[in-house]
Amino acid sequence: MKPSAFEYFTASTVAEAISLLERYEDEAKIIAGGQSLVPMMNFRVAQPEVLIDINGIKELDYIRQEDDEIVIGALTRERDLELSPLVQEKCPILAEAISLIGHASIRTRGTIGGSLVHADPAAEIPLTIYGLDAKMKVVGPSGERTLEPEEFFLSYLTTSLEPLEILVEVRIPVLPQKTGWSFVELTRRRGDFYIVAVASILFMEKGGVCKEARICLGGVGPTSIRAEEAEEILAGQVITDELIEKAGQKAAEAADPESDYHASAEYRRDMTRVFVQRGLAEARNRAKGG
Amino acid sequence: MKIEGKYKFPASQEQIWDLFMDQKNLEKAIPGCEKMEEREPGKYDVLLKIGIAAIKGTYTGKIEVVDPEPPNRYRLLGEGSGSPGFVKGEATIELSQEGQHTIVSYQGDMQVGGLIAGIGQRMIGGIAKMMAGQFFKKMAKELKSQQ
Amino acid sequence: MAERRRITVKVNGVEYGREVDPKRLLVDFLRDDLELIGTHVGCEHGFCGACTVLLNGRSIRSCLMFAVQADGAEIMTVEGLAEDGKLHPLQEAFQEHHALQCGFCTPGMLIVTYELLKDNPDPTEEEVRLAVAGVLCRCTGYKQIIDAVIAAAPKMRGG
Repeated sequence: MKPSAFEYFTASTVAEAISLLERYEDEAKIIAGGQSLVPMMNFRVAQPEVLIDINGIKELDYIRQEDDEIVIGALTRERDLELSPLVQEKCPILAEAISLIGHASIRTRGTIGGSLVHADPAAEIPLTIYGLDAKMKVVGPSGERTLEPEEFFLSYLTTSLEPLEILVEVRIPVLPQKTGWSFVELTRRRGDFYIVAVASILFMEKGGVCKEARICLGGVGPTSIRAEEAEEILAGQVITDELIEKAGQKAAEAADPESDYHASAEYRRDMTRVFVQRGLAEARNRAKGG
Repeated sequence: MKIEGKYKFPASQEQIWDLFMDQKNLEKAIPGCEKMEEREPGKYDVLLKIGIAAIKGTYTGKIEVVDPEPPNRYRLLGEGSGSPGFVKGEATIELSQEGQHTIVSYQGDMQVGGLIAGIGQRMIGGIAKMMAGQFFKKMAKELKSQQ
Repeated sequence: MAERRRITVKVNGVEYGREVDPKRLLVDFLRDDLELIGTHVGCEHGFCGACTVLLNGRSIRSCLMFAVQADGAEIMTVEGLAEDGKLHPLQEAFQEHHALQCGFCTPGMLIVTYELLKDNPDPTEEEVRLAVAGVLCRCTGYKQIIDAVIAAAPKMRGG
């Protein structure tokens, strides 16, 4: 199908975009990469009367390091992040997760900010940043605020972004060297939305001891979640196969999946266990330098 | 698509029955409900405005309470349609006592068609459950304000 | 009603200026306004990849972009591969290896594999598979397509 008609505006600064939002409020929708919005418009599920195109806001397209953080403009393309030597070196889990979004031609257009504000419960970027102490900077008419993933994501396709606010930047602490990490997902075909995905990060200290573990689960609830009880099993330990086994079981208990067209809740829960175990084993190998 | 769930209220079964049969409470608790009018006893016309992400829509529909067996169970029939598609469903709502509390459980089947069905397939079940959760939470709030 | 906008795009080296409705999809603009019907419209929701074109040198799905958004851009469609009526080595390899049957996915296949060979002149079979994973073919299967791309690689390297 074809989209229904809309008024089209371009913004070249954040302030311009916000003033357009103020003018049209409810009727307007921001378009960035458009890789989720345009399909919905083509199906006429989404019929915004006004489209505010922010692709011309060049000041929101950047990847740089500031002290111990990687700072990413909201309009940065997924393909640029995936191929960025800085991201590959300092936050490899993000580069890996992004490489699994759709296909290269989707990532050429798709942006990090668009993926975050769309808040699909089976998207790679929203899941990964749960484990990275990421901070989202949003700007609105009354100023800016910074949100952590737990504050930013509320539910299916729903964030705490106010109607007149725009996400402008994501800040992610650099991962220390020798950090173990893994991003694994279960999909029916390459490029599909995942059924279950797990992002694992193991912060290590001397003697092969895991100082802190992060286990993020996707596809098993309205937002991604951290499997905190499973993380506690690993903290302060040398990670053994037994601990990985236990952590997988604990993580599955934290999952609260729904049954749908693609997979039953039981299957999703059991795959959570399997993929946590698989992911932790891979993360442990990476921490060892493997 | 099957949906089910339950919610616990700190009140007697009779109180909860009355709570759920009162139009004023329903009007406040149904997510996105803009207007609710009783056509005849137990039959209502509703106007819902629902917006999730880019998917915004206004739905007009009917809700009907069928086979009430106070204070234990009733059936709820509903249907609505709007620009993004249609939703139709029925649920059995059962009340039971547990100590000082009443458990309200629902078991239903819903059909979704039109445009939303095409693209929302992955999430419709979850979103329905989320909206049911919002509904029960608001009912609990109404209960508290009336106690 | 939405105002029409004047845009200028360079497609396969030729500059075009046209007025478009904001809701005009880039793929419909290419096919219906510029009459470059080599690019195909399949699913219209970014799933099948038949509409893939290069936008400023990188592949995109032209059904997931509005023509107004391409103002000022350089686009290459499947028509841009052949030069002076002579097939591109990649197209020749597709022909030699029977890498097309009904031909519906072929424009998408050619563009994504052209992009691959441009960035990675000596890809492994795995890399070719990954590149074509985003384009759906429902008749030949993928084997001949992969064979064709691997056969075309040395010819493209050799110029």
